[in-house]
Amino acid sequence: MKPVWIIAKNTYREIIRDRIIYALFVFAIIMVGAALALGQLSFSEQARISANFGMAAIHISAIIIAIFVGSSLVSKEIDKKTILSILTRPLSRLQFLLGKSLGLILIILTVIVGLSFIQAFVFWGLKVPITPAFFVSIYGILLESLVLLGIALMFSTFSSSFLVVSFTIGIFLIGHWVENLNFLAKKSSSELFSIFAKLSVYGFPNLEKFNWRDVVLYNDDLRLDEIVMSTLYGLGWWILFLFLTMMFFRKKDFA
Amino acid sequence: MNLVEVHNLTKSFKRHFWSETKKVIDELSFDIPSGVITGFLGANGAGKTTTMKCVLGLIFPDSGDITYFGKKSLTTEIKKKIGFLPEQPYFYSYLTGVEFLKFYGEISTKLTRRDLLLRIDYLLKKVDLYHAKDKALRQYSKGMLQKIGFAQALIHEPELLILDEPLSGLDPDGRHYLNELIKETAKEGRSVFFSSHLLHDTEKLCENLVILKDGRLFYQGPTRNILDNLNAKYRISFLRGHQQETIFVNNQDEIQSHLKDLLSQDCIIEEVEQDRITLEEYFVKNVLEKKNEAGLDHS
Repeated sequence: MKPVWIIAKNTYREIIRDRIIYALFVFAIIMVGAALALGQLSFSEQARISANFGMAAIHISAIIIAIFVGSSLVSKEIDKKTILSILTRPLSRLQFLLGKSLGLILIILTVIVGLSFIQAFVFWGLKVPITPAFFVSIYGILLESLVLLGIALMFSTFSSSFLVVSFTIGIFLIGHWVENLNFLAKKSSSELFSIFAKLSVYGFPNLEKFNWRDVVLYNDDLRLDEIVMSTLYGLGWWILFLFLTMMFFRKKDFA
Repeated sequence: MNLVEVHNLTKSFKRHFWSETKKVIDELSFDIPSGVITGFLGANGAGKTTTMKCVLGLIFPDSGDITYFGKKSLTTEIKKKIGFLPEQPYFYSYLTGVEFLKFYGEISTKLTRRDLLLRIDYLLKKVDLYHAKDKALRQYSKGMLQKIGFAQALIHEPELLILDEPLSGLDPDGRHYLNELIKETAKEGRSVFFSSHLLHDTEKLCENLVILKDGRLFYQGPTRNILDNLNAKYRISFLRGHQQETIFVNNQDEIQSHLKDLLSQDCIIEEVEQDRITLEEYFVKNVLEKKNEAGLDHS
């Protein structure tokens, strides 16, 4: 596992030095600032608006990194030909992919933890209690990012960055509409639409399974079995995408 | 003993899904012997880089097999015995010289942190980059990148060093420096296999050659053999009175008889030298000219 960790450390360092993270922090701070400003309009709703904007900022930041950085994670190594000297080293292609993924997961974790601290500080300032639901919703964002990273990584082994981003955003949108599509399929009289919707339900990850942000907003109850099942669901998709990535990557020629 | 043995290697490429398949390497067989510098020559598009990438596991051949240190597959243990410098110095530009070597060293060796740092210091001094060790690679010149690339290829003390066009794009000073590094590396007991377009340097450096032509083996063997075989002529320079004269003879027997005659005529023998052609002349005549005759452009 040593090579995986070394590749992960280097990937982490590369992204940090790319300064994309700083731009995201600035974006998130603007979102939190906007939330506080809007919250002034209504004292009773200030906490809800702040929570709404804050969680959205964390969610968007993590998704942006997973999709945009994930899409270039391997393709950049191929385009810049740095992969030539790396893959001739004593490590397998799977270790390389795992290392790259782990590095980006650590970046997403850094951003999520950093922004969560800012959000927790805002809650503390607004005297909103920080409940376990807050941490669970952050965990949900991490799981969703993991799945999207898996998708971006898979596409990046055989497609250009632009197409990878397009495909992954497409799956991100479908993933959040899967439940609606399923509902509409049941109500629809069109057989074609019904087939398409059913294919979407089984063929795409349902990203709403990781959406626990409303729990923070409305103080709903969260069931442990739901969290466990969603975790297994997310890891299952991630492993599937990693397996497919490896299938494409295993015999890829680096001409 | 051969470190690498390539048997009947064939590789074809398709530019697009719908385009025709082009055979780049065709039933290629050659060996990389131990303990010598082997030059890998061929015109542009002859398949040198593709062959090297097949040997390094970066490209999968359609057929044929490669034996490494007597083993049939390129395992991580085998990879520890091989160092590689790619054609262009493509490295992580955000890393400093030390960080770069540390990264490659950590992946490739089991050295302790202290020993690895000592090895890095040693290599940086060896390639004359110690002064730039804390500079980011994006600030390095082409020559400096080639040198740091050479250092990364040596970081894990490999038995075999594979260098793809290590001398291209360097100024004469940089070429000379890298030539010396390659020679030193060979003196340390490592085997070197390198491709180059610079035939003058290759001729000086390599005891052994592998020459490709249209993806097939054209020649494998000692450098001297191909040059000597073509050079039957010897040149005798001498002074007859104050007049300098030269005669050409074809073999050792003729040299002996001419020398006797000249000495009996009170001539002063200045020099007897084999009138060799250079590797470049050989290459142009035998590898390039025949392709050009066939109307192929290899500019």
